[in-house]
Amino acid sequence: MKRILVLGALMLGSALSPAFAGSGPIKIVLAEEADLLEPCMATRSNIGRVIMQNVSETLTELDVRGDKGVMPRLAEKWEQNADGSWRFHLRQGVKFSDGTTFDAKDVKHSFDRIMSDKNACESRRYFGGMTVTPTVVDDFTIDFKADPVQPILPLLLSLVTIVPEETPLEFVREPIGTGPYKLTNWTPGQQIVLTGREDYWGAKPEVTEATYLFRADPSVRAAMVQAGEADLSPSISQLDATNPATDFSYLDSETVYLRIDHNIEPLNDVRVRRALNLAIDRQAFLGTLVPDSALLATAIVPPPTLGWNPDVKVFPYDPDGARTLLEEAKADGVKVDTPITIIARSANFPNVTEIMEAIQAQLQEVGFKVELKFVEVAEHEQYYSKPFKEGRGPQIVAAMHDNSKGDPSFSMFFKYATEGTQSGFSDPKVDDLIKRASAAVGDERAKLWSEVIAYVHDEVVADVLLFHMVGFSRVSERLDFKPTMATNGTLQLSEIKIK
Amino acid sequence: MIPPPDSPEGAMLRFIRKRAVASLISLVGLIVMVFFLSRLTGDPAALFLPVEASAEMKAQFRELHGLNDPLLVQFARYVGDVVTGDFGESLRKARPALDVVLEAFTWTLWLALVTMTLVTGAAIVVGSLAAFRAGGFFDRLSSVISLLGASVPDFWVAIVAIVVFSVNLAWLPTSGTGSLLHWILPISVLFIRPFGIIVQVVRGSMIGALSSAYVKTARAKGVKSGPIIFVHALRNAMLPVITVIGDQAASLLNGAVIIETIFGFPGVGKLMIDSILQRDFNVVLAAILVTALAIFLMNLLIDLAYALLDPRIRH
Amino acid sequence: MTLQTTDTALAEEPHFARRMVRMLLADRFALCAAIFLLVILVLAIVGPSWLGDLATKQNLRGRNAAPFDWERGWVWWMGADALGRPLLARIIVATQNTLMVAAGAVALSAVVGTVLGLVAGFSSARVNQIIMRLADVIMSFPSLLIAVIVLYILGSSILNLMLVLAITRIPVYLRTTRAEVLEIRERMFVQAARVMGASSKRILFRHILPVVLPTLTTLATLDFAYVMLAESALSFLGIGIQPPEITWGLMISQGRQYLTNAWWLSFWPGLAIILTTLSLNLLSNWLRIALDPVQRWRLEMKGRKNG
Repeated sequence: MKRILVLGALMLGSALSPAFAGSGPIKIVLAEEADLLEPCMATRSNIGRVIMQNVSETLTELDVRGDKGVMPRLAEKWEQNADGSWRFHLRQGVKFSDGTTFDAKDVKHSFDRIMSDKNACESRRYFGGMTVTPTVVDDFTIDFKADPVQPILPLLLSLVTIVPEETPLEFVREPIGTGPYKLTNWTPGQQIVLTGREDYWGAKPEVTEATYLFRADPSVRAAMVQAGEADLSPSISQLDATNPATDFSYLDSETVYLRIDHNIEPLNDVRVRRALNLAIDRQAFLGTLVPDSALLATAIVPPPTLGWNPDVKVFPYDPDGARTLLEEAKADGVKVDTPITIIARSANFPNVTEIMEAIQAQLQEVGFKVELKFVEVAEHEQYYSKPFKEGRGPQIVAAMHDNSKGDPSFSMFFKYATEGTQSGFSDPKVDDLIKRASAAVGDERAKLWSEVIAYVHDEVVADVLLFHMVGFSRVSERLDFKPTMATNGTLQLSEIKIK
Repeated sequence: MIPPPDSPEGAMLRFIRKRAVASLISLVGLIVMVFFLSRLTGDPAALFLPVEASAEMKAQFRELHGLNDPLLVQFARYVGDVVTGDFGESLRKARPALDVVLEAFTWTLWLALVTMTLVTGAAIVVGSLAAFRAGGFFDRLSSVISLLGASVPDFWVAIVAIVVFSVNLAWLPTSGTGSLLHWILPISVLFIRPFGIIVQVVRGSMIGALSSAYVKTARAKGVKSGPIIFVHALRNAMLPVITVIGDQAASLLNGAVIIETIFGFPGVGKLMIDSILQRDFNVVLAAILVTALAIFLMNLLIDLAYALLDPRIRH
Repeated sequence: MTLQTTDTALAEEPHFARRMVRMLLADRFALCAAIFLLVILVLAIVGPSWLGDLATKQNLRGRNAAPFDWERGWVWWMGADALGRPLLARIIVATQNTLMVAAGAVALSAVVGTVLGLVAGFSSARVNQIIMRLADVIMSFPSLLIAVIVLYILGSSILNLMLVLAITRIPVYLRTTRAEVLEIRERMFVQAARVMGASSKRILFRHILPVVLPTLTTLATLDFAYVMLAESALSFLGIGIQPPEITWGLMISQGRQYLTNAWWLSFWPGLAIILTTLSLNLLSNWLRIALDPVQRWRLEMKGRKNG
C-alpha cells in the first residue's frame, strides 16, 4: 500500500522484459491539460497532478492513505521552538535534477519566491493573514517563524514545492525539482513525459516513465484505457464505469453545497434557510443523479478531515416541516414569496444541470419561488465571491469546494468567517470559534473545529450542504493502483505498481 | 518595372494593393473592437487564482499583468508592443501568446486544408451528378445523404466512430496525434457537414445553370458533347459554390471546437474557447489576428477566383 | 418574359393558390414535408400550453426510461430523460423555442445579408469595399466570443441568443448575393433594362433578386440545421439557452454524456432537427420548381396524370 521498496531498483534493468514486468513506462490520460508546469502553482490540480511529488517535492507530506498525519519528505524531522517558531532538519545528500545539491538556502528561496510580487504563485494564498519568515540556521537546518504562531505550519509546508536557489522569481516553464522524475518532453497540446531519475534520493519507483495525455471528453478517456492507448484515467464518467475489473470509485474530497446569501430577505430568516434544507430529498439523489457511494454532507469538509463532527445529523427530508416553517415566517411578515435565484455553473460537476433542476422542483414543491440560472465560469465567480453586487435579489450559489488537506482551516475562514471571500453571512460567534480553532493544537483544535461545524450547521443553518462527491477512475489491469482522496490534486507515480 | 495601368497585371496589382490597405484597416478595427469588448467581460485574476485568493493577491496579479491601468493606457501599451512584433504573454501559460497561437493554428490549417480539399472534390462531383438528373434516384439519394450530413450533430458521429472503429474494431487510434492514422477519424467527421451543405449548393446552382439561356444556346448551337456542356454549366454555377466553400472553410479556420475537444486535437478552436472562458486576452487577440489574416487572405483568393471564372466581373 | 409570368401569377391570386396546391399534391415528397412542417408549426404554437406541465414533471425513479414502452401513455413512447421526464412531451414543448431561435436567426441573417449583398454588388466601389470588409470582420470574429460578449453584457435570453446566431451567419448571405449580383448584372437582360431606363431599385428587386433567391433559399434551409446545432454547442459551454428553458439543441447537449448508455436522450431531438431540415429542403426544392416558369410543367404534368 505505501512506499515502494528496493524491489523496483532491482528490476529496473529488466524494464523491457515482460517476464519481469515489475517496472516500465505507463501512459496517463487526464481531463485538463497542465498549461503551466510551474512548481509554485502545483497546488492547482491540473498542474499538481503532473508535477507534485513527482518532479517537485515538499518538506512534508500528508498521509492520505493511512492516518499518519504529516510525514517527512525533504525534511527528516521538525520541532517547535520555545518562541513558537518551527525548526526543520533537512534530508542530506539530495540532488536536484539539474545536479545541484539541495540545502536550506533552496528552501528559503522557494518560500521567498512564493511570496514575491514578481509572480502570481497561487500557493501564497495558504499564508494569508500571517507573516512567515524563514531563517537559514545551517546548510541543513531552517527555522520558520510565523506571526501569529501557526500550529499547522508543518502541514502548510506540504504545499510549498522546493526549487533550486537559482530559479528566477518569474514563472518558469521547465520545473527543476528533487523528485523521482524529471521533465523530459513537453509538447503543448499533446503530451508531457516524465522520466525516472537515476540519482533520486529515495527508493526507485516501478514506473520508469510516465506519458501524460489530455482529453476533455470523459468517454474518450475511458475508451483509451479500454483500447490500451492509456493505462490510467483518474476521472471517467460514472456512466462509463461499468467494468468492475478496471473501474473504481473513490471519495474525491469535493463537497457540493448551496451557498446562501443571508443578507437579503427572505434568506436572512433562519426558518427560511431551515425550510430550504428540509425540502431537499438528498437521499433520492444517491444512485440516480449522484453516484451511490457519495456521502451526504453535514460539513463543508469530507469525513477524514480533522474535527469532522459525527454528531451532526443530515437534515431529514421533511416537506411538511418545510411548509410549516415557511408559513411561520410568512406570518411574521417575511417575504417568502420573493423569487430566489439559484446560480450554478455549467459543467461544474457531473449532472449539475439535472441536479439543480431537481432541487428547483423540490423547493417549488414546498412553496418556494425558485429561478434557475446557469452561467459560465467567469460569471459564476462573480456571484460566488465578494464583493457581492449591490441591488441583488435573494441568491443561492451552487458550488463545489475541495479540501483534501486534512484540516478545516483551508475551508472555514473563507466560507464562514465575516471576512471570508465566499461567506454569505456574519456571525461573531463563528468568527471567534474559527479564530480560536486556527490557533489551537491537538485535541483542542479538533474539538473547536467540531464545534464550528455543529454550530454552523444546526444553529446558523449557514448553507445547504449536499454531497461529498465520488470520482471514478479506470485503471488498466496491468497496474496495481487505487486512487485516493488526494488524486484530484496529486498523482504520485511512485504509488503506482505494475503487475 | 510597373506595368502600364490598363494592362491586366496592372489592374490586378492595383486591386490587390487596394484590398490589402482595406483589409489592414478592418484588421485594426477588429483588434480594437476585441480588445475593448473582451475586457468588459470580467476579470482574469479571479479565474487564474483560486476562489480563496485574497483581494491583495488578485490586485497584485492585475498589477503584474498591467490590468490595473486605465483601458486606454493598456491599449496604447498593447499597440506599442504589437508594432514591435510582441503580442504579449499568455496569462495562463506564461509564454508568448503568438507562439501558442501559431503552434495551434498550424494544426488547424492542415486540418482545414485537407478536409476542404476532399469536401470540395467530392461535393462538386456528387452535386453535379445529382443536378444532371434532377428528381431522379441518384438525386433523391444524394439529397437525403447530404441533408443528413448537414444536420447530424457531429459529436454523435465522433463518439460512435470512436466506439466502433477504435474500441470494437481496433482499426484506428481513438484520439490524439502522432501518425497519419490519427488524422483519419477527425477528418472523416469534419468532412460530413460541409460536404452536405456544399452538395446541396452545387446541385441547386447547377440546375439553374443547366437550364440557363447560356447552356441552352450552346446546345442549340449544336454542342452535343456532354462534358463540354457540363464544364460550361459548372463554370457558371461556381460563383455561389465558391462562396459557400469559403464560408465553410472560414468556420474550420476558426477551429473545429467539438472535434478538437473529443479527439484531443491541439487546434486553435479549443485554444480559443479556453482562452475566452479564462479571459486570457492576449491569446484571444493573437488567435483572432492569425485566423482573421487567414480568412481575409482566403476571401481575397475567392474574389480573384470570381474574376477568373467570369472575366466580366471587375471592380 | 420571366417577369411577366411572375406578375400575372401574382395578379391572379386565387388561381395561383389553387395551382400551387395542385402542384404540391403532385410531389409526394414535398407533400409529406409540407404536412410535417405544418404539424411542427402547430405543435410550436400549442405545445407549451398543452404539455408544459407534463414535460417538467420529474420522477427520479423513472429516469432514463427506455423508449418503445407501449404500455405507458403515448408521451412515454420515446422514453424519459435523466430526470424521468417524458422525452416526447419535452420535444413537443421545445418546438416553440427551437423554431423561434432558428427561424428568427435565419430570417434575420438572410434578410440583412441579402440586402447588404445587393447593395454591395450594385453601388460604388467604395461602399462595396466597406461592406465587404465588414463581412470579413464578422467572418473572422469567433462566434463564441460574440456570444460571450453579448450574453455577458446584455444577459442571456432567447432574443439575445437569436441575435448572436444571426450576426455570425450574415456574411455567407452577403457574399453569395454579391457574387451573384456581380455576375447577373452583366447579363443581357439587366443591361437591357438599364438601357431602357429602369431604376436601380427596380432592377435589384425585379430582375436580380429572383435569380439569386434559389441559392439563398437552399442556404437558408441548411442554415436552419446549423443554427439549431450551434445553439446546442453554446448551451453546452454554458452561454446558450439554459434550463429550465428547453430547445432541441439543449436536449441534444444534455443527452451528450448518455450517448453510450441511453442513446435516446440525444437521438430524438437530433432526429427532430434532421427531419425538420429535410422537410424544409424538400419543400424549398419543390418551391423552386413550382415558381420557375420554365420547369413548372414537370409538376403540372404529373398533377394532371394523378388527378
